[in-house]
Amino acid sequence: MAGFAWGGFVLGGLPAGALAAVAAGGAAILTGLYLLKLERRRVLVAFSPLWTALAGERRSERWARRLRRWLSLLLQLAFLTLLVLAAADPRPAAADRGGRSIVVLIDRSASMAARDEPGGRIARARRAAEEIVAGMSGRDRAMIISFGAGVSPESGFEDDPQRLRAAIARADASDEPGDLPAALEFARAVLRDRPRPTLVLISDGGFSESARAAGGAALAGIDARFVPVGQRRDNVAILSFGARRKPADPASVEAAVVVQSFRAAATTVILEIAAGPDSVPIERIRLKLEAGEQRRYVLGAVPAADTELRATLRPAGVEGTAPESAGLDQLDDLAVDDRAFAVVPALRRLKVLRVGAGDLFVDGALLSLGDTVDVRRVPAAAAASTRASWPAYDAIIFDGVTPPEAPTAGHFLFIDPSGPGSPFPVRGTIADPIVSESKPHHPLLRHVALADVNIARAQRLALAADDIAVASALGAPLIVARARPGLRVVALAFSVRQSDLPMRTAFPLLLANSIAFLAGDTQGAGLALRTGQAARWPVADAAGAPTVTATVIDPLGNAQARAARAGAVEWPVQVTGFYRLRTGRSEVTFAANLADPVESDTAPARTLALGGRTLPAPDAPRPGQRRAYWAWALMAAAALTLFEWCSYHRRWTV
Amino acid sequence: MSAAAATPPAPAPAPATATARFDERFLRKLETLSLVVKRTFAGLARADRRTRRAGAGIEFADHRAYAAGDDLRYLDWNLYGRVGRLLVRLFEEDEDLSIAILCDTSASMGLGQPRKLDLALQVGAALAYVGLAGLDRVSLYPIAESLGAGLPPARGKAHILPMLHFLEAVAPGGRTDLAAAVRAFLRQHRRNRRGLVVLISDFYDPAGYREALDLLRHDRFEVIAVQVSSPDEINPALRGDVTVRDVETGDERELTIAPAVLAAYQRRRTALLRDLSGFCRERALPCFCITSDMAFDDVVLRIFRAGGALA
Repeated sequence: MAGFAWGGFVLGGLPAGALAAVAAGGAAILTGLYLLKLERRRVLVAFSPLWTALAGERRSERWARRLRRWLSLLLQLAFLTLLVLAAADPRPAAADRGGRSIVVLIDRSASMAARDEPGGRIARARRAAEEIVAGMSGRDRAMIISFGAGVSPESGFEDDPQRLRAAIARADASDEPGDLPAALEFARAVLRDRPRPTLVLISDGGFSESARAAGGAALAGIDARFVPVGQRRDNVAILSFGARRKPADPASVEAAVVVQSFRAAATTVILEIAAGPDSVPIERIRLKLEAGEQRRYVLGAVPAADTELRATLRPAGVEGTAPESAGLDQLDDLAVDDRAFAVVPALRRLKVLRVGAGDLFVDGALLSLGDTVDVRRVPAAAAASTRASWPAYDAIIFDGVTPPEAPTAGHFLFIDPSGPGSPFPVRGTIADPIVSESKPHHPLLRHVALADVNIARAQRLALAADDIAVASALGAPLIVARARPGLRVVALAFSVRQSDLPMRTAFPLLLANSIAFLAGDTQGAGLALRTGQAARWPVADAAGAPTVTATVIDPLGNAQARAARAGAVEWPVQVTGFYRLRTGRSEVTFAANLADPVESDTAPARTLALGGRTLPAPDAPRPGQRRAYWAWALMAAAALTLFEWCSYHRRWTV
Repeated sequence: MSAAAATPPAPAPAPATATARFDERFLRKLETLSLVVKRTFAGLARADRRTRRAGAGIEFADHRAYAAGDDLRYLDWNLYGRVGRLLVRLFEEDEDLSIAILCDTSASMGLGQPRKLDLALQVGAALAYVGLAGLDRVSLYPIAESLGAGLPPARGKAHILPMLHFLEAVAPGGRTDLAAAVRAFLRQHRRNRRGLVVLISDFYDPAGYREALDLLRHDRFEVIAVQVSSPDEINPALRGDVTVRDVETGDERELTIAPAVLAAYQRRRTALLRDLSGFCRERALPCFCITSDMAFDDVVLRIFRAGGALA
């Protein structure tokens, strides 16, 4: 871009030197051509006296003819001038000399599918984005970005409204929660070092407080604006739906549903639970919810052998209708959280080797797992002798002992590890640690609450870079998970006998989760997915296993081949429903749900504060800001060409 | 008028091989035609035509308007006394006819789309065939700067094929000098019988055409003038700056063709044709103006017939 100022205009096209060269060269060529003697067409006539008698008329018209030739030259020069003007791309300097770099950030999270706006919130967001594009000034550049759980740049920085509108049209609502901090970070990255960075966030403002707080840091130095969408808050959602085999009776299945009303008044809905691929209803409950009430419903005994369960919310007046579609649209503004899916984990008996002295707490917890585990107990002295048989076990528990050497392959649970065979070097002890950080979504902590757990002493474990501190006490890991190809390790940094954890229901759950994690079978935890996350499922656990290719079939029926990396297959979870993973002859089914109360709370935000900074509304568009003078110059050149064509054929200028 | 002259002869068989210009169907149509001339000639042998001439006839046939040069002895003074118009008495006699076809083959006849020469040769061939079929003596000469080598008078349809082959070989070239060509023609036919002369030309003669027509007329030839133009001469598709070159003289002039120039050209050309028509009308000479894009059968079967040259 030249950026050359001329009069009240800024020339944004070719550089000034190139323009001058084109103008001078073109004018010289045109003039030279016109100065050349006209090569007359030679015509044979039968009787020249009929023509030669007209020679006197030719002389009388000589001056007029010369004038017409010069008029033709002037037309050509005017045509050249218009072309040079179009190439210069003049724009009013007063309109916007600097030009803004605008990122239009369109929220396409699940809540944007709410139908409280004509065509849905996302349609309103697209219209708002188009208004912003229409209001861009001549030197503005805009980039369209949409975000859900991931960030999608729909365009580069463009000044072509048509291409920007096409990019806007590609933004559509998803089933995913919105990751505002990631989107703002991405916008900040693309706006770095660009002139007058401007961000316009078009959203319903459905973000968590932590997301709003984190997003503020990304807006430093950026002119951030907010366009609210959404009219009302009218939604009843299934926030959670899960099914599991009872630990004490794995042959029995229980399901739990959490329903919350986000309405301002009491409401009554029908919760229907269906099983199997044909969605046969097995339970229908009438729930009367107060304003904002969250209700948990547990179906203690699922009377079905099927592994696929569906929960659906319907209006109270639409009972007994067909599953899936009927009645969903009438319930509330948001349909994606009016249904949820769950998978009952397959029943499998895991082989467990317990090494160490007898311990009532650990053994009792293992007993509570019932027939789901087959436990063999050996004393601490036999730790080394059983090493050859370790690959045959789904989990090996070292309680207060460690093998002579740290294992490099297999599945191990270390409780209070110490000694040279500990996979985690001990760097001292911690007195009275308190669980301050935890990862509640980690499979180890499924249904496990560690709040208020009292621990007398714990060891300070040193973690490798790929280790995960599932629970920590002010940075000191208390529960550690390690997952490497062929190796899975879980460690409790404290002895359960020096804590009150065994006195809590969390302990057998933690033990069960640990065994399931080590066995690679998370007993349903891995089968429950949340949209917006990347699902990961192990398909080859042995080191050096050949590359496995799996087929992932999403709820819409689209199949995609995925190669396993590091012993697992990964794929993005974008829509709710059942995903199926096929490897060879085996198939695993996963249930994907939104399960996000922030998205389900469709209360629109009229204002948005990020990091304590309230975002103002965008400036109103000023008419004429995008006036394209080059287009007018081209049209004038075309009109001039038309006139020249007419004048030639009408013999006005020849 | 004799019965033999009144009854047309049975159509003779068409030539075994017709050339490209004349198909067999068209030649058969021409066999039914006969020429009518306005003056009678003394024939060497009787032909199957009833000729009309003023003066020494046997059977009164008709009157025609007096034209300058007519013998005053054949004026019908009784009719003049009754109606006040000068009319010449015509008499009929069955005689053969001498027909000379003078076809302009100058370079200007080679222009036009279609070429003027092509139509001129086709018309000349048609007239020759009609004459030969009617047992008239037909001669044919190309003319340009002078009289070209042509075909001497011949009678009978046996001569039609050599005549058509001769016409096929004629190519345009040379300047137009109608008077010189006519003088040469008259020198060759000084001892021959006078008769009908068909002059087919564009009449673009820098020296004019009047002398040529007067020479023929003064030698008591019945003259039919056929002026041939081409459509692009009538409406030239010329615009802008051009150099016009005379195809015969080679003279060049630079012109800027504008609508006014075209209009002036057409005025001059129309004046030339009007002058030709007036000249012929004053002397009772049939004159036909045709264009080279006319259908050949239209020219022969319609224009000539409508003009009274063919019966």
